[in-house]
Amino acid sequence: MKSTASTSPSDIILEVKDLVQVYGKRPVLNGINFQVRKGETFVIMGGSGCGKTTLLRILIGAQRPTSGSVHIFGEDITTASPQELDRIRLRFGMNFQFGALFQSMTVGENIALPLQEHSQVDPSLIEMVVKMKLELVGLTGFENFKPSEISGGMRKRVGLARALALDPELLFSDEPTSGLDPVMTAVVDQLTLDSTRKIGVTAVVVSHDMTSCFRIATRMLMLGSGSRQGEIVAEGTPAEIKANPDPFLQQFIRGEADGPIPFRLSQDDYLKHLLGDG
Amino acid sequence: MKFSLQTLLNVEGNGYGLLNVRIFGWILYGLTRRDVLVPSEILRQMIRIGVQALPMASLVALSVGFILAMQSSTELGKLGANSFIPDLVSLSLMRELGPLLIAIIVVGRSGSAVAAEIGTMKVNEEIEALRVMAIPPVRYLVIPRYIALMIMLPCLTIFGNCVGLAGGWAVCASTLGMTTSFFIEHAVHRPELWDLYSGLIKSVVFAHILITTACYQGLSVEGGADGVGRATTNAVVYAILWIIIADALLTGLFFFVL
Repeated sequence: MKSTASTSPSDIILEVKDLVQVYGKRPVLNGINFQVRKGETFVIMGGSGCGKTTLLRILIGAQRPTSGSVHIFGEDITTASPQELDRIRLRFGMNFQFGALFQSMTVGENIALPLQEHSQVDPSLIEMVVKMKLELVGLTGFENFKPSEISGGMRKRVGLARALALDPELLFSDEPTSGLDPVMTAVVDQLTLDSTRKIGVTAVVVSHDMTSCFRIATRMLMLGSGSRQGEIVAEGTPAEIKANPDPFLQQFIRGEADGPIPFRLSQDDYLKHLLGDG
Repeated sequence: MKFSLQTLLNVEGNGYGLLNVRIFGWILYGLTRRDVLVPSEILRQMIRIGVQALPMASLVALSVGFILAMQSSTELGKLGANSFIPDLVSLSLMRELGPLLIAIIVVGRSGSAVAAEIGTMKVNEEIEALRVMAIPPVRYLVIPRYIALMIMLPCLTIFGNCVGLAGGWAVCASTLGMTTSFFIEHAVHRPELWDLYSGLIKSVVFAHILITTACYQGLSVEGGADGVGRATTNAVVYAILWIIIADALLTGLFFFVL
């Protein structure tokens, strides 16, 4: 399942072209281009404020970009009507950072919801699918718990189970391991790997947890911040990313406090900021 | 018809007017498809929004009945017209105070709860999750609440009118020595059917204003807990404001035109 050199158009699940997002006068994303092929686990990395969440919101059709296009399964979601967008959305799942589970429902009802809404199957079959999905994420027997009665790690796993409820071809995952202990991080990573390697789901994961990124990725992309805000710093396989000498990238991988990504303003910028010129 | 309704439902934007368009669009669409309007969810909301507001609405209606009877007895008594108290209590409740006060109580109790619930769902990304799962939030969250309140507020108003009359009767019977049969005869026979209908028309309009304002404020929440608090306050303030304005307009319409 490693990244292949194949460029067959039918293999391309997601294609982002010249994507630009500007907030006020500040470009958050500035001409982003990348492709995700079938079966890949594509990880988007970057520091806080680099535009990862904005990019993900555009990819799932929650936000229209300033310019550029996003093709999912060959259809441009930036120009799609809400009706067309809903049709495309049935083919992908989204695992939210904090699960986004419906607090008024039980764990089982959360997972059953997309099935009840979009399939005509018998309720007893839905119940069975819910049990299967819970087994997949290692939460057998938690059907009747409310989201408030389970831990943060469990909520993330329920979110993953719900995202996989309709057996999507593509899975988006937002910071799936943030705030988890190392063991739970490994568990969530293993679940992502199971979904991609065993079930064959293509995954696009947004994360800044480097250990997790290198564990699950078949290909990676790093978004720049600060002086390189809005551009792609590097893209490649985990080995290529590790070998890339870009100091910006290396600082991020090593988790160093200072470097091209500055901890503090430079002396000149600091003076300008103090005097109100910057 | 299906095509035009789909087009209507998919108009982009988030304004209050568009929310109203979507609500009517979904209800019309729901009449053509079985799985759009879910009776069990509507019933659940009827209990949460309507039935659970019954004790508070009853207490207010009973108090209003007491107040109307006591206040009118002091002035009408001077004119020797105490026999008109049942008529006054009955007409005031049916035409005006019943629909208005019950609506205001339901705004405070259920309108604020709906705005806070939907607002919290927005903050917790639950609304976003619905959209990503291709489940329209207006259809899934707003429609059951809308239909539930459109049914329950007129029901609560009728019930409140009855409780208010009981309050008026209690005062008349205990302090003015009025017989129960006399009270009922005047309170029930004096108002015309139109008096009841005009109150119910008001109640339906108030229900629409109440639930659309609460849902709109909930869906418009930005930020965190402060956003939810602001939306809840706005829902109550704007709903009461527009309900009173609508009441004045409808009363004017009934008074001058009909």
